[in-house]
Amino acid sequence: MSASGGMSGLIVRRMLQLPIVLGLILAITFALLWIIPGNPMENEGRRPSAEVAEAMRRQYQLDQPGAFFAQYALRASGVAWIVGSHPVPFDLGPSMRHPDWSVNEIIAAGLPVSATIGLGAIAIALIVGSTAGVIGGLRPGSWSDGATQALALVGISVPSFVTGSLLLVLLAAKLRLVPVGGWGTPAHALLPMLTLSLPFAAYIARLLRFGLADQMQTHHVRTAMAKGLSRREAAVRHALKNAFLPVLSYLGPATAIAMTGSFVVEKVFAVPGLGRHFVDGVLGKDITLVMGVVLVYAALLVLLNLLVDILYAWIDPRIEIAARPQ
Amino acid sequence: MRWTAGIVGALTLLVMFIGSWESGARRADVRVASADVFTLDPQRMTYMQDLRVARALFEGLCCSDPDTGDVVEGAAKSWSVSPDGRSYTFHLRPDARWNNGDPLTAEDFKQAWRRLLLPDLAADYAELLFPVVGARAFFAWRASQLEAYAKGEKHSADAAQDLWRQTIARFDSTVGIEAPDAHTLVVRLEQPVPYWLDICGFQSLSPVHRPTLERFSRIDPETAMLRTEPGWTKPGVLVCNGAMQLADWKYKRSMLLEPNPMYRGAHPAQALSVEIVPIEDASTAVLAYESGSIDWVSDLTAEFRAELVNAGRRDVHVLPAFGTDFWSFNCRPTMPDGRFNPFADARVRRAFARAVDKRALVQSVTRLHEPIATTLVPPGSIAGYESPAGLPYDLTAARAELAAAGWKDRNGDGLIENAEGSVFPPVEMLFMTGNPRVRGIASALAAMWRDGLGVQCDVRGKDGKFAKEDLRAGNFMIARGGWYGDYLDPTTFLDLSRTGNGNNDRGFSDERFDALLRDAERALDPAQRLRLLSEAERLIMEEEMPILPLCRYVTLYMYDPDRLRGIVRTPRLDQRLQRLRMGGGDAQGETP
Repeated sequence: MSASGGMSGLIVRRMLQLPIVLGLILAITFALLWIIPGNPMENEGRRPSAEVAEAMRRQYQLDQPGAFFAQYALRASGVAWIVGSHPVPFDLGPSMRHPDWSVNEIIAAGLPVSATIGLGAIAIALIVGSTAGVIGGLRPGSWSDGATQALALVGISVPSFVTGSLLLVLLAAKLRLVPVGGWGTPAHALLPMLTLSLPFAAYIARLLRFGLADQMQTHHVRTAMAKGLSRREAAVRHALKNAFLPVLSYLGPATAIAMTGSFVVEKVFAVPGLGRHFVDGVLGKDITLVMGVVLVYAALLVLLNLLVDILYAWIDPRIEIAARPQ
Repeated sequence: MRWTAGIVGALTLLVMFIGSWESGARRADVRVASADVFTLDPQRMTYMQDLRVARALFEGLCCSDPDTGDVVEGAAKSWSVSPDGRSYTFHLRPDARWNNGDPLTAEDFKQAWRRLLLPDLAADYAELLFPVVGARAFFAWRASQLEAYAKGEKHSADAAQDLWRQTIARFDSTVGIEAPDAHTLVVRLEQPVPYWLDICGFQSLSPVHRPTLERFSRIDPETAMLRTEPGWTKPGVLVCNGAMQLADWKYKRSMLLEPNPMYRGAHPAQALSVEIVPIEDASTAVLAYESGSIDWVSDLTAEFRAELVNAGRRDVHVLPAFGTDFWSFNCRPTMPDGRFNPFADARVRRAFARAVDKRALVQSVTRLHEPIATTLVPPGSIAGYESPAGLPYDLTAARAELAAAGWKDRNGDGLIENAEGSVFPPVEMLFMTGNPRVRGIASALAAMWRDGLGVQCDVRGKDGKFAKEDLRAGNFMIARGGWYGDYLDPTTFLDLSRTGNGNNDRGFSDERFDALLRDAERALDPAQRLRLLSEAERLIMEEEMPILPLCRYVTLYMYDPDRLRGIVRTPRLDQRLQRLRMGGGDAQGETP
């Protein structure tokens, strides 16, 4: 029985679960959106006359939640397309607040932006966090450990609108190294990536530091050192791989969170990412936009968790994949 | 296997990554930071930033000169009005063209206006056309037909198309909008509307390019409604007739407008391209301006304003807008749960209004030194209209009004009671959270009323949607309000207090006031009409007091007046992006 047999079983089962999970999440999101008072067609100051307001509710079948949801689910899932009643597959409908854009277009425009920043941030976080974690974990209690842990604490606790604004004032406005806000060139992406990476880097540093310190105390590492390996060699050859496991399991959801966009970072740097579109959608009760983004979020989260499980099994073959028969 | 998948995944991400880059070069002559544009469909617009872009992309029959407020010609080169003021005949310029070269015709206007009047579209500004003969009835008829269709069993493409054909026929036969030839548009009104030309210049009444729209429209067999696919306003697709055209638009990222070469009298040498960049965060917008990547911050909101204004900078401009910041009194006889509402009594309302020191508010709370207001219609904004005086700050008079209403401090505890000894109920003040300015004003008002009148205030900030629900249900005693005028006429403000008006949050109803507005509608002499409206405003600003005006709204711009010219500074802030010019010199010289 090869490992890949169990692996493909796992993948198949997760893939079969995916539509059920997504369906449930969609239904809950829809119910929550329905409970929030208000109307997506309404804006701040002015209110239209009674007959226009009534027409607004009818326009998107907001007076018939059941029918609205059923139609939406059929179109979004692609069932309507397979049956032939709708021309486009996976059509998430027009945005209610931005009628010139379909939700698919909005996600297609926002996701690459958020994903770029998110992946960049995770990459920076991995490099910075691992370095700091290893420095601390190799010599727990030393001054370098204290310093990196203190920095990590700052990284976790200072909110990104503070670090973001500071970086913006310092690097963009004063030193003019990068543009202030907006999107378009790699220079635009630098500060958002850096800002977003800080809390992740700090968390990784802490996970790795404690994992490594623990591993260094285990029998096999101590045996290795007794046999003549230096502390550093023992760490690299025997401790690091195991110490890295908690980081790996954290990376799945962390990548999903980073990639789907941070509202705060995107707002501070005026980046047109999915996080900003999502929060604006919630505030404006843009039902179709919010449901579409939630759907993408949920799918990403499920898929990235699956990826982590696969990587886990690859790094540490002792870990049982649930699908593997005894 | 594993590695191939990994490599494919990494490559995909790399392509996504690279695909979203573009060159860092500045794309436009002028870069404007603005709130995000919601839609470029002129009939569906509501927001100021959308209307501003529409003024560049589309040209209505006529328009009001942004500096003088006078109506000047637009797509129509002339017009005539019948002696009874009910019939307007517009003559379009025979050489007027869309930017793709198609001729602009009266039919383009007619169908755009029909579109505005379709409940299918649920246009916010549909009611602008309700003065037209048969318009309101047409809207109601189509709405009832759609409702009947939705309830009925027979849902088919044919039935929906059939209803659509009936709708067009009904519009043609009952609504007073006709296009007798390609360059003539005749509009008949139910009664004279003195500001009708101003409405004709409003962006919701802009023409649409029919062939483009038709490509993106379909009749939905489920609901029988006319649906417009979200594609016709995209760059390369949108056909417009204004001084500018859409070169690029990326969702919440940037919009690029360039001069329309087909526009009459185009000035290619001077015309500038304009890029609109949505930056929501105020501090980022200011930093972007400071770093030179933005030339004009076109609406600075919230926390930054006071610091910037009081720094005395030459590039920070505080401009009074055509709007009034006010608070609403609940005028309904009781609260929605049946509790006693002390503000049903006009004497109490007047007392609370007189007890507000508005000068202190603008000096030490908002710190923007806005012009304080005792009337709803901004004085001096409408030619020939005489504003009433309103009620000044006068604590003695305020206490006397309360005493006359039976409220005074009878037991010396510092709180006022009525004759039965019941204390004045805690004043429930409603406002939306999230705006520090409003929160500051609410607290200051509560303090003024507590110290000046001896009442307790319950300051209730609520989240937007919940606050709106309370406002609509009348579940407040005093609530934050505010209004920007839509057209240059006092009724754009006064209608708020009409019985049953959709924006009458106060539940105010006064027969004398309604009668004055009705008389004004019938008045043929414009001066007489304005006198009636002025009397109506006096009634609500000196006697009935459903609304407590605080100050004029101001808009805050950041731009260097030596570098950027052509920004309108008159109260309607009716900006024309096509008039922006770079460099110093005479600001008015060569504007088209």
